[in-house]
Amino acid sequence: MATRRLSDLRKAQMQAGYVFVLPSILLYAAFVLAPVAITIILSFTYYDISFGADWVGFENYVRFLTEPRSLEIFWNTLRFAFLAVSFNVAVGLILALALNRAMPTFMLYFFRLAFFLPVIISAAFVAVVWSYFYSVDFGVINYYLAQLGIGQVPWLSSSKFAMTSIVIMDVWKNTGFFMIILIAALQGVPKPIMDAASMDGASAWRRFSRITLPFISPVLFFCIVFASIGALQVFESIMILTGGGPGDSTRSLSIYLVDEAFGSFELGYAAAVSVIMMILVLIITIIQIIGSRRWVRE
Amino acid sequence: MQTRSMQTREAKKWVDRAIIAVLLLMGILMLMPFFWLFSMSFRPAAEAYKMPPSFFPPSFDLSNYQTVLESSVPFLKIYWNSLYVAVLVTIGQLVTCTLAAFAYARLRFPGRDSLFFVMLIGLMFPAQVTILPIYLGYAKLGLLNNPIGLVLMGLTSSFGVFMLRQFLRSQPKELEEAALMDGAGYFKIFWRISLPQLMPALGALAIITFTGAWNAYFQPRALITSQDSMTLPIAMDLLRGYMSQGNLSVVMAAMSMAILPVVLLFLVAQKMVIEGVTFSGIRA
Repeated sequence: MATRRLSDLRKAQMQAGYVFVLPSILLYAAFVLAPVAITIILSFTYYDISFGADWVGFENYVRFLTEPRSLEIFWNTLRFAFLAVSFNVAVGLILALALNRAMPTFMLYFFRLAFFLPVIISAAFVAVVWSYFYSVDFGVINYYLAQLGIGQVPWLSSSKFAMTSIVIMDVWKNTGFFMIILIAALQGVPKPIMDAASMDGASAWRRFSRITLPFISPVLFFCIVFASIGALQVFESIMILTGGGPGDSTRSLSIYLVDEAFGSFELGYAAAVSVIMMILVLIITIIQIIGSRRWVRE
Repeated sequence: MQTRSMQTREAKKWVDRAIIAVLLLMGILMLMPFFWLFSMSFRPAAEAYKMPPSFFPPSFDLSNYQTVLESSVPFLKIYWNSLYVAVLVTIGQLVTCTLAAFAYARLRFPGRDSLFFVMLIGLMFPAQVTILPIYLGYAKLGLLNNPIGLVLMGLTSSFGVFMLRQFLRSQPKELEEAALMDGAGYFKIFWRISLPQLMPALGALAIITFTGAWNAYFQPRALITSQDSMTLPIAMDLLRGYMSQGNLSVVMAAMSMAILPVVLLFLVAQKMVIEGVTFSGIRA
């Protein structure tokens, strides 16, 4: 009798389990798993919307790796990612160090508001404001530069400045995110050790490099990984500020992918571009897993 | 000795003050784009390009807002689409992720851990790698240019399942075991015990999901081209058409309305928003 009840219970639990996970699994299969699989297959084909797919093997990948244009775009994306990640994390760290002190609540509220508000407003919105700030003749930035006696800077219209301008906006928008995470990490640095070090006359720089930095390095590492994954997918800020131009000087892989897919309807090739992006993200994720294991062991 | 340490303490105080002053200045600079856009939205269009730029509204002239609402761009329809998509996606994720999280955290059934692992893998795929098949599928089903398409693809998320499962596992289990002994069914346990335990996490998930859906740009841009089905972020391009006519103030009036829900959410629930958003970063 008792065993009967137990197996009934197990069966009921099993049924409940499947029923509860069913909606999310079905949706996940339809909108993530199947599309990823189809994208990978698509990347080995020449796909025409009316005639269907022709298997072409690695042709799309060969095209990506041999065309100067796609290589320039690939390089642009990496360059953007490198600059955006470095400045976002470095500025975030400096702000976190500066803010990690006792202050009245209203001030803390203000700082969180000022540095975090850009993080949660879509780049699609704020980039429109920045595109005005950057405008050559009527732009706010050039107006103030002129007051300082500096000539007009073609922020977005010159291939020399355009990438820098996008990085500046990106840092304004995202650095607050890293600041908040790093403040949390800094608050975990044990105070007795810091106090003991300053008692012994260790300079601020020494305390930072010998105590703070090793202590927060796992979090810093996480920030770099997270920033890289986001930066490699950069899309809306570039789309709205320059649309990828002038020429291809600011075109990123995401924009290239959308151009190829919905502009030229080269769906097979676009799929190959997206698989390459996925591989980039995967590599960074693997580096993260290996790296975080090492941090934990030490 | 005594005086020297007092001197250094005095010096340290001044350094502290200087740092706070610099931070305050930077904080104000960070907010400038927002001051500017709100102020611009209240300026007469003719004065939009007047220099020096003003960061505070000269008056509260609402005519730009009126122009947006009366323009040829169906702004109210677009606003409604944004609300509709964001609200339905949020509700959908709360339901599907809560159910799944309960099963993964509290129930035992064959294949549970493999299913959860497969779900976790979803955290690694960028949106770029799913968009083409979704586009092709939607084209077949007639869901292109339809906000419902945006809702459907957002109804669940690996992140939501993961976050809620972790949270539920940190909660005590005793109540559930007692309820089970009393012969309560699993749905009753879920509804009466686990759901109330999950409330704080659900608030955070709701905030992240809502702002995420409100801000989404990449997928709507690929799937929607008709004005009547657009959401706000992609409609901004459309509204920028006004800029070429010099009606910058009108664009900024539209922008103010577009960012308002997220700004308000942040002003009233600052701590929760920050915790939610930073937690959603810490997911791997």
